[in-house]
Amino acid sequence: MNPDLTPTIWILLEAVVKGAIVIGALLTGFAYSTWFERKVIARMQVRLGPNKAGPAGLLLPAADGLKLFFKENIIPRAVDKGIFFLAPLISMTVAVLAFAVIPVGDPTEVPWREGLLQLGIADFDVALLYLLGVTSFAVYGIALAGWASNNKFALIGGLRAGAQMISYELAMGLSILGVVMIVGSLSLHEIVVWQKAHVWLVLLQPLGFVIYVITAIAETNRAPFDMPEAEQELIAGYHTEYTGMRFALFFQAEYIAMLTVCALAAALFLGGYSLPGVELPWFGDLAVFLGKVIAGMFVFVWIRATMPRLRYDQLMDFGWKVLLPLSIINVVATAVGLALYQNGVFG
Amino acid sequence: MIASDLKAMTPVMPADIAAKAAARMGDAVTMDEDGALVVEAAKLPALVRLLRDEHHLNYLSNLTCVDWPDRFETVYHLCSMQGGGQVTVKVAADKARPIVPSLTSIFPGADLQEREVWDMYGVRFAGHPNLRRILMWEGFAGHPMRKDWREAYYEQDQKPLKSRWPNGEFFFGEDTLSNWADNIKYPTGYAAEGLIDEGRADNNIAVIDAAALKLNPDIQGDHVIVNMGPQHPSTHGVFQMRLTLDGETVMDLQPVMGYMHRNHEKIGERNLWLGNMPFTDRLDYLAQLGNEWGYALTVEKMMEVAVPERAEYIRVIMAELTRVQSHMWGITFLLNDIGAFFTPMMYAIEERELILDLFEMTTGSRLMCNYMRFGGVAYDLPPEFMPMARTLVYDRLEKAVDEMDSYLTNNEIVRERMQGVGILPPEMAISYSTSGPVLRASGVPYDVRRAEPYGIYDRFDWDVVTRPEGDIFARYMVRLGEIRESLKILKQALAQIPEGPIMGGKKAWQIRVPAGQHYGRVENPRGELGFYLVSTGESNPYRYHVRSPCFVNLTALAEMSKGHKVADVVAILGSIDIVLGEVDR
Repeated sequence: MNPDLTPTIWILLEAVVKGAIVIGALLTGFAYSTWFERKVIARMQVRLGPNKAGPAGLLLPAADGLKLFFKENIIPRAVDKGIFFLAPLISMTVAVLAFAVIPVGDPTEVPWREGLLQLGIADFDVALLYLLGVTSFAVYGIALAGWASNNKFALIGGLRAGAQMISYELAMGLSILGVVMIVGSLSLHEIVVWQKAHVWLVLLQPLGFVIYVITAIAETNRAPFDMPEAEQELIAGYHTEYTGMRFALFFQAEYIAMLTVCALAAALFLGGYSLPGVELPWFGDLAVFLGKVIAGMFVFVWIRATMPRLRYDQLMDFGWKVLLPLSIINVVATAVGLALYQNGVFG
Repeated sequence: MIASDLKAMTPVMPADIAAKAAARMGDAVTMDEDGALVVEAAKLPALVRLLRDEHHLNYLSNLTCVDWPDRFETVYHLCSMQGGGQVTVKVAADKARPIVPSLTSIFPGADLQEREVWDMYGVRFAGHPNLRRILMWEGFAGHPMRKDWREAYYEQDQKPLKSRWPNGEFFFGEDTLSNWADNIKYPTGYAAEGLIDEGRADNNIAVIDAAALKLNPDIQGDHVIVNMGPQHPSTHGVFQMRLTLDGETVMDLQPVMGYMHRNHEKIGERNLWLGNMPFTDRLDYLAQLGNEWGYALTVEKMMEVAVPERAEYIRVIMAELTRVQSHMWGITFLLNDIGAFFTPMMYAIEERELILDLFEMTTGSRLMCNYMRFGGVAYDLPPEFMPMARTLVYDRLEKAVDEMDSYLTNNEIVRERMQGVGILPPEMAISYSTSGPVLRASGVPYDVRRAEPYGIYDRFDWDVVTRPEGDIFARYMVRLGEIRESLKILKQALAQIPEGPIMGGKKAWQIRVPAGQHYGRVENPRGELGFYLVSTGESNPYRYHVRSPCFVNLTALAEMSKGHKVADVVAILGSIDIVLGEVDR
């Protein structure tokens, strides 16, 4: 073997192992997000929630998974088969891909290699751009599922998803822009490091944070913006015709997307894996990161349990007429503030 | 907003009006022994117009039909929004070719009711825009409420069915080739199997040409027809709405019902008089005791039985508790329909369960109470009833309503979704024969408890709740206000209830109702529930008709929904608050 290639192979191997760990963690995270959601909503609705499968119903996700595996995979006669198969795969792939750039801890020393090990699959200079690009692919999965199902409810759901995601992506991208302007980097790791050194960006970008949270809920199709699968209107929206594991793939994609936006919110606005003024070992970083993600998930669940759904056209109005102008104002204000700061106006 | 009292207005006197109208119309109109106006078919629209325009009888309360041996008799009950009783109009139709002029041009509320009469009796309504079957399916032969129609199994000459036992051998229905069992007859020329044509080219075509529909000349694109229901999470059961959509905007809506039809009325005519009492529970199963009261009230009127004081109070208490729990359910399911994920519902159901506890301890059942009797109630209140009822009414329910009010009413999304959606103007609400909260939310202060007081409602101090807007939010607010008014009545009733007997008249195993007819009505949580009963002195009713408030309110659904979005249609349906047990009967 060419000795020059050895480091490259090691790096590749490392990436594969890290990828496997992240995917495993995401799938487990998905499973326990469903448990968490049921439990929290139940408590908010004066119920007990799952408590039969294992202690506190902790084995329920496993039981669910098992059930879905053994469900018959029904393929309606009139569907467009190729796209029908492809759509859940697109959704799932995109959801998992997005997590690749999320840093979960400070680079740390390991015995088997020289230099520091990145906690996170990859960290490169345009990580944020990559993330926005990949997540906007999610709409393809949903819109194609709605189209391929040859079901009118699914079609309406798919159309809604398309319109909704496109309009909210704009505001989302602009809300993040403020962060990028302040830090001066698109690398998520550097954004976290900047916050460690200075201050959490939520304090500098409160409006950006609020817009980000709202658009993140809309991006992930969660209540009160869950029009594409609005149960009361469209039965199940774009996945009406899906059964068994294919249905589960959509479900997984949705929850993993939620985990991703929570992680991104933590990284961009809430100091990522760091706590202010505390230097933690790598597992401490990981725990802080997890805590922030779980807090984010709680907010998602909390909103779902308490809010009715907006109407589709109201949602579009809100996106284009309120959120987009606000995020533009935010960008302009950030730019002005930054220019004044760099010219020493604030002393 | 609590609106003006109906007490201020002068209620109409049905007997006077009938006499005056009969005099005006000359020979075409006669009065029968029950005070009903009998009119020639051709003069019906003229008479109804006269009654509506000159005598303020602007509300078509009920429309039904009776199959007499020599004629079909369509029966109309007209009321006034000023209160008072109803004027009955009857039209005889030929047995062989029954045709009666349609009233849809005068009262659009006659639409669904006329379709029901056509479906059940085969009486044609000349001029009806859409005279199709409504409760039975298109492939059904015959008209099941006719006296000469024999119901399979129950009324066939030879039991069990010949088709099931061809040579005394039994076989399973599943083994026969036809999906449609042999004991169903089809109309001539109807091919049930032809409905599903595998080879047909347009089987899967989801869009239709907009130009062909001619709904809106400006729109060039295609419309999509969506069958919402009968299997749909928010049609409150097996109700179907056939929506014609332009994008997400509803261009047309047709209600399709009858999936849960069991011909309640036919079974009711076979049952003994008392046997129908538990059967009424199955109509609107969220207002079980209200239904029973309506039936008991009507039969009592025909039998001329007096109800003892204590029983009257028990009835009021039970009916108002029913209203409270039904409205709690109605409000929170409306919230569910606009997308609140069951949270309000769970809190309301907690209160509802406590009310059902009261029903259970008194009647022995939570839902199917079978509690009222002709001349009273079946059991006295148990000793533990009063303390628990007082705690609920005085302490708990009021707080629950206030809590619901404070958390839901001013929620931004709730208001966005409800205000200005599904508006029903007052004139339209009246002409469409809507009733209950739907009518009162359009600003019409009409409540049977006030307009034609039954029981002892005239003794209590309470208000008719109305709102002027006529939208979904108004219906929500009216229901919320009615819970408070019901609690007001309950407080008075619980304080005043006397001791004494709970049954009037003497105990009779077999109830005989003197020959005659009566239309009795009560204000149920969902609106005016009417029973039109005809007795020929037999041990069972000759005619047993239920005027279902949900069914009639649905007449206005299409009008309310046009131009709104798909999501609004669900909310509008939720604001009518239908119970399919009563719609389909």
